[in-house]
Amino acid sequence: MPKKILFVEDDEGFYNIFSVPLKMKGYDVLRVSDGSSAVDKVIVEKPDLVLLDIVLPGTSGLDVLKELREREETKSVFVVMLTNFGNDENISKAMEYGANDYLMKYNIVPSELPDKIASFLGEDPNFNIKVTEL
Amino acid sequence: MEQTTVLNILVILESILLLVISFILFSKTRNLTKLKKYEEEIIKMKAKNEAKMGDFLPILVHELRSPLSVIKGAADLLMKEVNGLSADQIHTLLNQIKSSSNSLLDMVGSILDVSKMESGKFEVNKSFNNMEVVLKEVCSYFEPLAKVRGLTIECQIDKTIMNFSFDAERIKQVVGNLISNAIKFSPEGGNIIVSSKKVGSDCQISVCDTGVGIKDSEKPLLFQKFYQASNQDGIKKGTGLGLYISRGIVEAHGGKIWVENNVPKGSKFIFTIPMN
Repeated sequence: MPKKILFVEDDEGFYNIFSVPLKMKGYDVLRVSDGSSAVDKVIVEKPDLVLLDIVLPGTSGLDVLKELREREETKSVFVVMLTNFGNDENISKAMEYGANDYLMKYNIVPSELPDKIASFLGEDPNFNIKVTEL
Repeated sequence: MEQTTVLNILVILESILLLVISFILFSKTRNLTKLKKYEEEIIKMKAKNEAKMGDFLPILVHELRSPLSVIKGAADLLMKEVNGLSADQIHTLLNQIKSSSNSLLDMVGSILDVSKMESGKFEVNKSFNNMEVVLKEVCSYFEPLAKVRGLTIECQIDKTIMNFSFDAERIKQVVGNLISNAIKFSPEGGNIIVSSKKVGSDCQISVCDTGVGIKDSEKPLLFQKFYQASNQDGIKKGTGLGLYISRGIVEAHGGKIWVENNVPKGSKFIFTIPMN
């Protein structure tokens, strides 16, 4: 069974450049383009990892993260924030709400994303929160 | 007796004179206080605008960085993974480079438009055009994007509007900006209606959505430079120039643009252009 990744991203461009290499490596990549339906999609699809943008139509990525952590059925899903907004307020909120990592889109080389995801999925569940290259 | 009367008259005249002088002095002081107040307001407004300029820069950086990151990422994939990519994937990535480059060009164009509007050099190039053709073209351009977001676009045209003189490219820009905002602020399942009708000697165009709507407090600020409406979560998107430029284009045609609440929910952006 291929590992399932849910990409919560409203920007078609970012979805394309990041989903293509993940699909090439055999990941099953699903997409939700607004925040409001993200939590429901996580409940239904039970992804192994969620790539979560912050600026989304409907509900913001930070509120989606908060809700994911509050709900029993989604509280342990691995969530990586993937955004271009790297201000301190967003990072500290994401950490406070329980993000597993915080990546800046412009720092990620798309062809290297699958290795990063593989390392996330192979990590101990109590993976430490860290901030990558801000 | 006569002397007393004269003295009395003089005292009365003196009192009247004093009253008049007091009144003049009082109104002058009031005017000065008013002027001072205006001056303070202007200083406050200037400070506010400068703050907005400051706030605008990180947003502009974000807006420029997003398409650039996409172009860079797509180029990276095409260079490193070209052998593993399917023809469809190559096509998608090339299309992405094209559309992100267009976004960058649009952004640079917006900044230039604003600069022309600021210096009073902005002009429209009017010629006889058909509004039906213009509206249908913009609607079809946005249909695929709306579909991806789970939205529908409906185009309701008043066929009695004859060809008249307007700048078709600029009006496409205004309608496109309004539709793009409607898409941005509407949750999945919404409907966007673009319509035209004759109102007196004006052509009236409206773009209605069933989105989150706009707070009454935000309405007067919407068409100001750098003002960004926030969605229901307070998240702001875009450069805050689209509606400012739209207003500039509509006004350059001699028309007006405003926003109303859509019934039962959402927003209705309306603009008029004189047809004569």
